[in-house]
Formats: sequence, structure tokens, C-alpha cells
Amino acid sequence: MMESRLLRVNLTTGEMRAETLPHALFERWVGGSGINNWLMWEHFLEHDIHCDPRSPDNVFVFGVGPLAGTGSGSGVKGRITFKSPSYGIFGDSAAGGKFPYMVRFAGFDHIVVTGRAPRPVYLYICDGNAVLCDASHLWGRSTGETHALLQQELGDYPSHTHTLTIGVSGENLVGMAGVISDASRIHARGGGGCVMGSKNLKAIAVQGSGGIKVHNPQGMLKWSADFRRRIDANEAIYGFKRRGTLGAVEMYQHIGSHFWRNNQGCLFRGDEVRSDNWVRKYHKYSEVCSADCFIACDGRYKLDGSESPKAAKYAGESFRRPEYLTTASAAGALDVRDWAEVAHWGKVTNEYGMDNQDLSCSISFLMELKEKDLISDRDVAELFGRSQRLEWGNMEDIEACIHDMATRSNLFAELFNDGPYWGALRYSQRKGQNFMKYATYGKGGASFTEEMRPFPTWMNNMAVASRGADHLKGIGLIEKFQRRDLSKRYFNGRTEAADLTIPDLKGASTALIENQVALINSYGVCLFHWMLDPAGFAPEEYYQPAFTEVTGIARTPEELMRDGERICNLEKAFNSRLGLRREHDTICERWMYEPTTEGMYPGSVAANMFEPVLDEYYEWRGWDRTTGLQRRDRMEALGLGDVADVLAAEGALARE
Amino acid sequence: MTGMIRIHTQYQSRFREITGIPGETFELEQPLVSELAWKIAGKYGDRMESLLIDRETNELNERGTMYVDSKGRRVYMEDRLTDGETIAFLIGIAGG
Repeated sequence: MMESRLLRVNLTTGEMRAETLPHALFERWVGGSGINNWLMWEHFLEHDIHCDPRSPDNVFVFGVGPLAGTGSGSGVKGRITFKSPSYGIFGDSAAGGKFPYMVRFAGFDHIVVTGRAPRPVYLYICDGNAVLCDASHLWGRSTGETHALLQQELGDYPSHTHTLTIGVSGENLVGMAGVISDASRIHARGGGGCVMGSKNLKAIAVQGSGGIKVHNPQGMLKWSADFRRRIDANEAIYGFKRRGTLGAVEMYQHIGSHFWRNNQGCLFRGDEVRSDNWVRKYHKYSEVCSADCFIACDGRYKLDGSESPKAAKYAGESFRRPEYLTTASAAGALDVRDWAEVAHWGKVTNEYGMDNQDLSCSISFLMELKEKDLISDRDVAELFGRSQRLEWGNMEDIEACIHDMATRSNLFAELFNDGPYWGALRYSQRKGQNFMKYATYGKGGASFTEEMRPFPTWMNNMAVASRGADHLKGIGLIEKFQRRDLSKRYFNGRTEAADLTIPDLKGASTALIENQVALINSYGVCLFHWMLDPAGFAPEEYYQPAFTEVTGIARTPEELMRDGERICNLEKAFNSRLGLRREHDTICERWMYEPTTEGMYPGSVAANMFEPVLDEYYEWRGWDRTTGLQRRDRMEALGLGDVADVLAAEGALARE
Repeated sequence: MTGMIRIHTQYQSRFREITGIPGETFELEQPLVSELAWKIAGKYGDRMESLLIDRETNELNERGTMYVDSKGRRVYMEDRLTDGETIAFLIGIAGG
């Protein structure tokens, strides 16, 4: 039997209650994000789902899956789940590190936070006990300062202190505010930091010395040893250990998959940032993000000032190595061409606790308007309350914008704090001009800063992802890496899923990989152990024995894939209750109609294949093509009859 | 020698670490990807062979790697090459 506990915290009343999570919940939802989704679903059966996400009626759920911290070596990911304040729909976000398994060592797998504290507090959990503490001394502090103060305050007994914190942006209810894990790893997407801020919850700090009960420890150790052998035998992973996701810089430069200047182009400019220079010049220390990872791709920099023309300005600065998307947002979206400045961008956005995808897409949208003389110096002064050059690659300018947004101190921040879609819409309305063709988004969510137009599965991912434009739920790997072997395996010997030039099997690929990713996120492990494919790409197969050894739940790979599908369907149902239909599964005008002009796939637009791919996606999901709504028969086949009943009562289920 | 073709290679990331160079040119008797792949594997030894070739199937290894021609198409062992073509050897990674 899976033994697990949930901590419920009502910040309005201060009441806290520990509950045992029933084994049946793991049978149905696997764990991690699957159980998080269900806990939020249950919450909104009793609270108004149409509530303002910044109101006390919203819920903030933290969860970690059953494999996390068990010695699986698969990395650890914690997940936060909430109604998104920036996009107004389903919201969730993952981050790795030590905090997630420390929550388990402290006695809980999930934390549900409701209500709003009358004054700033932090939640302190230590070996099964929880208490709300005054956070007035932390309010106004950066995420790094908050983490350090909590470590100092709580000490190293019975374990090191690990934290989830918000920065100034979360306190100011900035929609794009994220939540920072141990001062350096961000739950970025959807505005989880804004939800914490709206609840006056500055931080969660944990210390734990308990273990994690595993159903069959010997079996788990055996599985783990085999998994390690496979990882060590994979040469590709040795490159990843040093670069992490920065390995994508050169590859994307080769095929033309960067997001340059608000996606007007798809190649980085500047020799510094388009090469492997990070590894050659900046990579000083390797780090293990958690004790439960056999890859260890993390790294840290410390600038001595000699690395690049701009490095002297930041001499002595040290922080976590930028990930690819930190790089893509700075070197790509904003055309920052110096690695030291790219790294600094990552550090500053982390200190303020903000999603650099939403932020860079908002700033680069305005930079493009300025570049094209669609807005004047006077318009810019009105937005920022001062003269502002809005010049590509000007880091001083950009840093001022970061500060504005975090402190919500001017019109720019008021209009754009929910990301580029809402910002562009509000600004267009204010100016009486339609600027939407320059905004990059999918389903109202900010783009992630990669070129996607040549890749029909990715365009579909951006449209259908439950949390808005998303690269981490339906990752289009079969297509982007042209994996004919996987296409054949999953689609009865057919190879079309690996062919970029046709729409066939692209919607099917989205559905397949969404199910697989839902499983990985529910196991509570890292995506990269799957993406690098040391064990044969199929998480429903190679994690299946591990899941059984840990939980005692016997599952076939086919049953696990259905578990993944069930989890995806609950996220869909949440959005259907909010009124989302087929017309909301869409992407921005730039991606749809404006052809790429460079890279290996020039002339690409999404419109050529978008509708047939979306049709196919609905078909594979068993959803209604016309409305995009779920059907009762498929829901019941997945054991979701109760969810279908809720949808039917609200007119959010497809008609028979 | 008649019938020989010249193929250029570009190495990134782990491939460049193993070869120590950003790229080179090979002369092939048979205009096939398989000949190129085995020449590279033979030149650089076990680590390269492990990275490049799936030892179970003798096909190009698709796990975590990507090999594309100058038009961005993935190449396979049985594909024919034309004189002067460039093949890039990349590590397949996305997101972050």
C-alpha cells in the first residue's frame, strides 16, 4: 500500500490539518501532478471556479510524485498547481532541486493552501509538524535574501532548510510571478508566485529527517542500478552533463530554431552567444540539483570579469548557470549578445521571482513596435514614466524594465504583468490600434522562446496545452528530431510522425506525448532522463517496474498510458468548465501566417497544417471536433464518469 | 580515383569533444551514410561508435542524437549522399 500524507493549510483561519492520502488516489492519479490536479478539481467543486485567481478562493497546491527521493536516480520535480492569474485558466509549473524530496522527508507528499493570511506569513514544516510564522521581516526581500534568512533562522537541524519563496513580483501580484525553489530554480509558468502573494504567503520552509517508505526496497535498488547502467552507457548524456539544456544553443543555431527579436528571426546573432562558449569560458562548477539524479546537469558560474566585453561590469557575480530558455529569452527574444549579460538576466529575474518567458516576450513585443515606429518616444514615455530607449540588446534598458515589472511601478507593468497576450490586447485597446499581430502566444499563454513554425506538432502543442502555449506537456520530439523509429513504434509501423512536411500523425503525436509527460510529471521525476532516451524513450515501460516497487501498484504499460490520458483529461475538463472551446485552441497571427525567413526551413507557416493537425488531435483524444469538448463515452472508459457528470451539468460536455 | 565523393562533416557538443575538431572532410567510395558513419566510428574509436551507432541494430543511434543534411533532413544508414554534401552531427535536446 502506498502511504502518503497531505497537509491542508487554511490561511484565513490559520487551521492546519494532516490527512492520509488514500491508496486509491494513487491507483487513479499516479501521484505528483496527477494528484495535484485532482486536489484542485475537488477544491473547485466547492468554490467558484470563475473566481478571480488573485482572490482567497483560489487554491495553491504543491505536490511531489512517488518516485521522487527514493534513489531512483531520475531527478526530482516538485509541482505547483493553481488557477492561473496570468492566463485565467488551468495553471501549473514544475521545478527540480532538493526542496521537493525534503517535503517528503518532512512527512508530506502534497500541501494544499487555501484562503488568505491577514498578514505576511511563511509556512514552516519540520518532521510532520507545521506552523505559520510571521514573515514581515521577509516581505520586500529578494528570493535569494529570503532563502538565506530562512536558512539562518531555522538552522541545519534536523536537516538543512530548503525553501519555496516568492520575490517582490509575487508580493505585488504580478501575473507572471513565479515561485523559486532554494533560491535558484523557478516554477515559472502561469503565475504561481502571484497566487502565493495573493495569499500573503511569502515562503514555505521545510526540514525533514524522516525517510520515504518504499514498498519493495530491494526491487527498487535493483531497478535503480539498472537505470544507472543505462545512463552511464549513453554517450550523449556525457555532453549533457556539462551543458544541460544549453546543448540546444548550437543545435538550434544549426537548424534555425531560436526565437530572435520577438521571433522576427530564428537565429542568434553575435559570436559570443551562438556558440559553445558557455562551456568553454563560463562553466566553473558543476552541481547536482538533487541527490537523486544520475545525470547531474546543473552548473554554477562566477564571473571574474575577463570572460567577455561586458563581464567586467558583473565581476564577482555568481549564480546558477542559465538554462536554455533563460538564454533564449535574453539572447533570442531581446537580442542580448554577451553571455555575462545573459547570465545576469537569469539571476535578476530569479531574484525578483519572475518568468523570463512572459517577461521577454512582453518587452520584445514593445521593442518591435518601437523599431517599426508603430509607437513614438512619447508613447514609450507614457508606458514607462520616463524616457526609455527600448533598444534591442541594451541590458541597462532591459534591467530597468525588469525592475518596473516586479515593482509594478508604471503603465507598462500594469498592462503587461499577465504576459504578452493580455498586454498586447490591453495596449491595443488603449491606443485604438490593433497590435496583436506582433504578440507571440498560444491559447493566451506566452510563447516559450523557440522557433516553432516549421514544426506542426509544436504548433499544435502551443494551441492545445492546458496551461497555454507550452513546450513541456506535449513535447514534439518525434517530429523535431525526426525519430522514425518512434513513429514506427507508436503508430503501427507508420513513419509520417517523423516527417516535418506533412500534417499526418502530428496531432496524434501531441496526444501520445502529452500522456507520457503527464505520467513523468506524476511520477515526480525529471523530463530529461526521458528526453535523452537512455532507456528506450517509453516512460510507461522503463518506469513501470519502479512505480510498482515504490507503490505496490501493479500496472501494465498500457494501463499507465491510460493513467496519463486520464490526467490530461482532468486538466482539459478544468478548462472546459471555464468555457474554453475549440476556438481557444489557437495560436498567434505571427506563427499562423508570417513565414520564417531564415534557418533550414524558410517559408514555414503554421496555417498550412494547423487545422488538420488540430482535427487529428481531437480525434485521437476522442473529443468532439466541432466544439473541442470531451465525450462521455471516452471519459467513462477512462474512469472519469464523475468528472463527465460535472461537465454535463455545466454544459461543458459534448452532446451525444 | 573515379566514383569517389567528398562529404563534409560538422561536429557539435559531445561529437566535437570526442573528435577534438569542429568538422572535417571524408572521401567515400560508396555514396552512402553507412560508409560515412563507419569511417567516423573507425577513426575515433569506441566512444564515437557508441554515440553514433546503435549496436543492437547497426542503425544510426537515434537516442539523444540527430544527424541532418544541409536541408535539415535526418539521414539514415541506407541514404545516399551526393558529392559535396554536409552532414551535421548534433545532440538532440529541447526545452529548458
